[in-house]
Amino acid sequence: MAFEPLRGEHLLWLVNGFLQTLQIAALVIPVATGLGLLAALAGLARGWPLRATVGAAIALLRNSPLLVQLFFWYFGLPALLPEALREWLNTTQRLPLPGGFALPWPSYEFLAGMLGLSLYSAAYVAEEIRAGMRGVPPAQRLAAAALGMRPWQVFRHVVAPQALRIAASPLIGQYMNITKNSSLTMAIGVMELSYASRQVETVTFKTFQAFGVATVLYVLIIAVLEVLALVVQRRFPVPGGRR
Amino acid sequence: MDFQVIRDNLDYLLRGHWPDGPLGGAALTLLLSVGSAVLSGALGLALGIALAMSAPRVRVALTAAIGFFRAIPVLMLIFWTYFLLPIAFGIDVPGVFSVMCALSLVGGAYLAHSVRAGIASIGAGQWQAGLSLGLTRFATLRHVVLPQALRIMLPSFVNQWVSLVKDTSLAYVVGVGELSFLAAQVNARTMIHPAEVFLFVGAIYFVLCSALDLLARLLARRCRSGAGV
Repeated sequence: MAFEPLRGEHLLWLVNGFLQTLQIAALVIPVATGLGLLAALAGLARGWPLRATVGAAIALLRNSPLLVQLFFWYFGLPALLPEALREWLNTTQRLPLPGGFALPWPSYEFLAGMLGLSLYSAAYVAEEIRAGMRGVPPAQRLAAAALGMRPWQVFRHVVAPQALRIAASPLIGQYMNITKNSSLTMAIGVMELSYASRQVETVTFKTFQAFGVATVLYVLIIAVLEVLALVVQRRFPVPGGRR
Repeated sequence: MDFQVIRDNLDYLLRGHWPDGPLGGAALTLLLSVGSAVLSGALGLALGIALAMSAPRVRVALTAAIGFFRAIPVLMLIFWTYFLLPIAFGIDVPGVFSVMCALSLVGGAYLAHSVRAGIASIGAGQWQAGLSLGLTRFATLRHVVLPQALRIMLPSFVNQWVSLVKDTSLAYVVGVGELSFLAAQVNARTMIHPAEVFLFVGAIYFVLCSALDLLARLLARRCRSGAGV
């Protein structure tokens, strides 16, 4: 194996893949956090049908592979949609804006990847948030109620701030998983970092260099998130010491 | 929904061309899962013990190496083993084997920290008791500490195996004919009922993973109640 460096053009493919990976992570992280929070709150609901539905959805999402889920959203979902909607999804290339401008409409691969990754990750985020809420001692709720707070105020001012601190580290761990799992979207044709490295490898046969650059870039993202986790831990310590 | 496509391809999805050709489908997924589970368990145990027992400098190096395997996507690691193992050994390595290698490395890296934590959770008194009986450090580990620590670790082992079963689907990217790959193949051939194909395949994984998940919960409850295994 000769160690020739990659040519500029091929490096550019990798950089574009890296940017796509960052974009996916930047979009999926807030969406999954929002959905996960809603699911965790639904777990507190009084009515059992809502709790059971959300619980079943979380179990389904967690106990089947992300790859199969992505295939389902990418191949399966359009087949279940009405003909007209399917046509529209496949043809609309631009999102018209007022004034004659148009935004490029993301490809269906990208949309399916976002949907699949967001739902899968939300199931994990929900469990972390639920664990965070369980970690708040019951006496805290009772004390807040005794002060005359309403249930929503108890949640907003007493439970949520503490639960968030407990859940912060595991949540950042999930954000790392989101970044790593975004690599699976290559299987449905999203041109992110793994896709680009595979493409460069196929064209140049420079296996070591292609996968090496991609690997270093992934480690870089994870390292940044790792540092973020340390900063958050120091800045917002869990009340009552480390659990 | 029309599940005729599943009935037509059921045998193929469950076992590939076996016994007339190579094993594939759900059977290969099971084989991959069991193989990587055993290997990752052994690797995790070895690394965890090394983390717990080694000198600080070695521990730092080990932690860094383990951190590396935890930081990169499993898919990337599969690429590495798939393309580099044949070059490194100069022989033709079957795809199944390189995927098993990658999955064992990842699983081992994740389990190492659970094993270390399990060993650390056993009180110093147990170590002192073993040593004062004249046992060596490793004999104490083997006969006194590990039997207790393993009980504490068992749920995290089973949890790791759940992710392992799911991760076997990544063998798809290097063309190993396990369940996900055959599903994609059946889908590409028939074209008409993709939702049914992937729902069915997802259901197979779900049954496998849920069974393991249930086991992990039962084990965790037994460990908490102190009844032992």
